[in-house]
Amino acid sequence: MATMTSTTSPPAPVFLDRLKRVNWTPYLFLALPLALYFVWIIAPTLYSIYLSMTDWDGVTAVPNFLGFANYQRLFTDRTFNEALVNNVRWLAVFITVPTTLGLGLALIFNQEMRGGRWYKISFYSPLVLSLPVIGLIWAWVYQPRAGLINSLLVGIGVQNPPGWLADRDLAIWCIIAAAAWRQVGYVMVLYLAGLKNVDPTLVEAAIVDGANRRQLFQHVILPLLAPVTTIVVVISIIDSLRAFDLVSIMTAGNQRTQVLANYMYIQAFNNYKMGYGAAIAVILFLISLIFIGFYLWRTIRDELEY
Amino acid sequence: MSRNTLRFLVVAVLLAAAVLAVAPVLAQDFITYNSYNGDPTPRAFDEKVVAMWNEMHPDKPINHSIIAHEDFKQAIRAYLTAQPAPDVLTWFAGNRARFFIDRGLILDFSDMWQAEGLDDVFAPGFTALATVGEGKYFMPTSYYWWAIYYRPSLFEKAGVKAPIETWDELLAACDTFNAAGIAPFTIGTRFRWPAAAWFDYLNMRQNGPEFHINLMLLKESYTDERVKATFARWQELLDRKCFIANPAAYDWNEAVDFMAQGEAAMYLMGGFITDTYPDELEDDLDFFRFPIIDPSIPVGEDAPTDGYFIAAQARNPEGAKEFLAFLASKEVQQMAFDELGRLPTRIDVDISKATKATQQGIALIQGADYVAQFYDRDTTPEMAEAGMDAMMAFWDDPASIDQLLEELEATRARIAAEQAGQ
Repeated sequence: MATMTSTTSPPAPVFLDRLKRVNWTPYLFLALPLALYFVWIIAPTLYSIYLSMTDWDGVTAVPNFLGFANYQRLFTDRTFNEALVNNVRWLAVFITVPTTLGLGLALIFNQEMRGGRWYKISFYSPLVLSLPVIGLIWAWVYQPRAGLINSLLVGIGVQNPPGWLADRDLAIWCIIAAAAWRQVGYVMVLYLAGLKNVDPTLVEAAIVDGANRRQLFQHVILPLLAPVTTIVVVISIIDSLRAFDLVSIMTAGNQRTQVLANYMYIQAFNNYKMGYGAAIAVILFLISLIFIGFYLWRTIRDELEY
Repeated sequence: MSRNTLRFLVVAVLLAAAVLAVAPVLAQDFITYNSYNGDPTPRAFDEKVVAMWNEMHPDKPINHSIIAHEDFKQAIRAYLTAQPAPDVLTWFAGNRARFFIDRGLILDFSDMWQAEGLDDVFAPGFTALATVGEGKYFMPTSYYWWAIYYRPSLFEKAGVKAPIETWDELLAACDTFNAAGIAPFTIGTRFRWPAAAWFDYLNMRQNGPEFHINLMLLKESYTDERVKATFARWQELLDRKCFIANPAAYDWNEAVDFMAQGEAAMYLMGGFITDTYPDELEDDLDFFRFPIIDPSIPVGEDAPTDGYFIAAQARNPEGAKEFLAFLASKEVQQMAFDELGRLPTRIDVDISKATKATQQGIALIQGADYVAQFYDRDTTPEMAEAGMDAMMAFWDDPASIDQLLEELEATRARIAAEQAGQ
């Protein structure tokens, strides 16, 4: 057989030779993860994009193809716009407030102090709780009649305390505040880890050069923390885009607190509008892509520089 | 040879013994039954009914699985499209049953309905619920009604006469209660649906059940003057501060506290309020029918109905029909009425032990030609979402009602067009 191929078609042995020379081991190792990646990540993503162009109800075998009709509808859908605005609010609060507070706390607790470890744990402990539990606890805290906040307000003589979650203008901010409460501890821990890696000789050098506290922070510590800041911002963005648990538990998306993830869930699994729900998911995916793309672009650029 | 014969005999005897032992198991044809009775009391009852069946029919044992109500609502699509699907499933009447029936996922059991003579023993309103076109698809077995639950002691304290029977009496009662420092109505609208009960009743009392049902079926317009009149009634109640403050902060059962603590007098709620209401105050709880606005209009009531259906792709449809007939039997309905207070859809169940008020309520519902199923069961899930959102927005800002109704009308028109296209 081998002799036959060699005599009739001369290029084949070269090709076979090249095949033999290729090191197959890495591809072999990659095959399984790649297959899994395709089956569990790529294929469902593509399938969702296809579904978003149909009117699938979750039951019918062959749905009708609608093209971009679902997307057209999204932009006139009041609840979708409300959800989009709420996600943006969430994002705006998340990349500013918990980041600043977390950094501040990290700077404070990075110093040696009496009971410092205890304080650190107390700020970090909300992170141990699952989000639904946090939602339940905060719903009690916000309860207008017997909740913690209004009990205190009434105690100091406030006449008509707000209804918090019952107030359509306040409700979303109440939920974001509960989420930020949890996030602060998370950011603090990340920055504390970052501060431990700051080379003390650089700090000492700056002090010897006569830098005051503000200069030290602004020109030495903050630039050294830049990689941590990138991670914190990325985490904040991801957490605010996937916001779901707290809204679902605290208001179920009522009281003008709808967010994209919860609205997608309601459309798909409550209203049996899988196609429309998929369209919301795709929008959420595209928004994430913008941030992920930005992040990748920065990381790759940084890698090239060094 | 002889050794071989012996060996053959031994094997044959062993085989025969094995077959004899296994035969009864093979002859058993089990029936799968998936239910949503996750709460302790209904769960115990559900299991008891299955045990009764298993005792009577050891050859057709039930494969029973129970999951929580909300999870069941999500899982039902997977159940019905599975191959094979479970045989018998719990479900509720109204639009959510129609959704599956229209898609051919539910089995027509008219033959069993005929054979059991159910036309003669089911109240007409419930026979109507079971029927789609020519077939019978849904087996209604129990329901509960909605009513205004109240504390007689608070009525006495404030000097209000119960029952409140007319609209003017209702408005006057609001003023009297407010003057006495008691909130007239408690309500928890955190998950919105208790507000939808108000819409159902105001719309049925103002415009009659026929208009209401047609609105639910998306055949009437939300910008109709009649819908506006319904919301105008609602606004009268809001203007008179008939409800507690910040209702959206409370779950429906949290709002019961206002009544239990004597801060609110009434609650428009389903019969299941007694599950949450404190036992020690049970003697101080009664109910009356939602007041009449226009006596010339037929009276419609909300009476959400639970029942069962058989999956079209059931593995054992014959067994399923038999079990369904058992679930709908007088014996089981009587037991459900006696033990759980579930109201029977059959007219031959003995209700003489119930209070006079309950008997009157049952007579009222069983006499109706149509019973409404509740806003989020009567209309499509998507319409219900939009409608309840609008109700909450209206509650917060009644002046925005015209714009809200225009948006609802746009949603209704779109869903109706989609349904027509399918």
